[in-house]
Amino acid sequence: MLPFTIELKLGLPVTEQVVFATKKAVVTGQLKVGSMFPSVRVLSQELKINPNTAHKIVATLVTEGVLVTTPGVGSVVAEPLAGDKRERAELLGADLERLVVEAKKLGLSLEDVQSGLNKHWRKLGG
Amino acid sequence: MNVIETHNLVRKYGKTEAVHDLTISVPTGSVFALLGPNGAGKTTTIKVLMNLLTPTAGEARVLGVDSQKLGVNERRQIGYVSENQQLPLWMSVRQFLDYCRPWYPAWDRDLEKKLLGRFELPEERKLKHLSRGMLMKVALLSSLAYRPKLLILDEPFSGLDPFVRDEFVQGVLEVSEIGDWTVFISSHDIHEVEMLCDWVGILNAGRLQLAEPVEKLQARFRHIEVVLHEPIMPAVSPPEHWLCYEQAGSVIRFFEKDYSTGKTEVLCRERFPSAAVTAHPMSLREIFVALMRAQRVQNTEGAIK
Repeated sequence: MLPFTIELKLGLPVTEQVVFATKKAVVTGQLKVGSMFPSVRVLSQELKINPNTAHKIVATLVTEGVLVTTPGVGSVVAEPLAGDKRERAELLGADLERLVVEAKKLGLSLEDVQSGLNKHWRKLGG
Repeated sequence: MNVIETHNLVRKYGKTEAVHDLTISVPTGSVFALLGPNGAGKTTTIKVLMNLLTPTAGEARVLGVDSQKLGVNERRQIGYVSENQQLPLWMSVRQFLDYCRPWYPAWDRDLEKKLLGRFELPEERKLKHLSRGMLMKVALLSSLAYRPKLLILDEPFSGLDPFVRDEFVQGVLEVSEIGDWTVFISSHDIHEVEMLCDWVGILNAGRLQLAEPVEKLQARFRHIEVVLHEPIMPAVSPPEHWLCYEQAGSVIRFFEKDYSTGKTEVLCRERFPSAAVTAHPMSLREIFVALMRAQRVQNTEGAIK
């Protein structure tokens, strides 16, 4: 069994889906800092995905600083990113732009977006 | 490196061409699904790869060797399970495994035991008294126990219930290795391996329609829905990469096969200046069905012309 919630949807890249689900699990506290992350083999067998895809997922999570790998031990959930808050905010830039574009396309107002954001923020325990 | 390659492969049965000028590469380390409707030429292709059939023209290479020269050394690294596998039905499960074992120096007794347990196979029962699902599991076990580098599965799931299919995939993953472990699997129903495979090839009427990484395919295909404010016919005809273009009243639907956010949006705006356009990602199965439909439409139109 995997220690975080994931339901793979057809039609979307598997790697992206698992990376996102992992980040979400870290944010919501389902995966605690310092806890073990499943091995490539377990990930592959539980999700029934090619082990090479599972390998790519772990590598991506390590590159993005979500996991740290210790040789011979495995991967654990990393401390949240240190560094300047402004630097961290910049990481979100592209996603925010995409959100604004989508919202405008749907004809939503800034308030609509803000109330939607608030709802999601609260849902994740903010 | 490619673990399987064919170059302009042709196979005829009498005058009927089952495989037409097939050039395909299966990269090492991929789980490659070869999809196609019944009669597309999948089994014929696999039989040529396994040297159960000779090519009429062209060539096939497996593990770097011409398929017609496959020797014991190569066969010991290949696991092959087919839908219509002939098994010695008079043997019991145990007798059959005892018979297979000596052929493979790398046969892993522990793995054999593990898989026997996982598949819940009755060792003393004769093969002729096993259900179809169990027979397929016996065939799979006898092809997994020596940890082949290349696993070739021909329609492994047809006629199996969902639970057995699940066990089957779990069994396959039991011997998986990161790196140069490759699976080549043919199917007319992609559903069961949609998550497992990372490469896909589509074969139809003996011809290869496409072969590419799943993520790339999923990125470029979208199901587009346009809702017009008024039910008018757009003046400009759809571009070639919009498949199965249809309009009903104020709704237009089609499959975009060269999707990119910017480009598709511009094309839509040119044709439908004030309309709501939505793009839905498609599962492999939906892409497969869309391509088959587009092909049929094309053939009918060709016939009329």
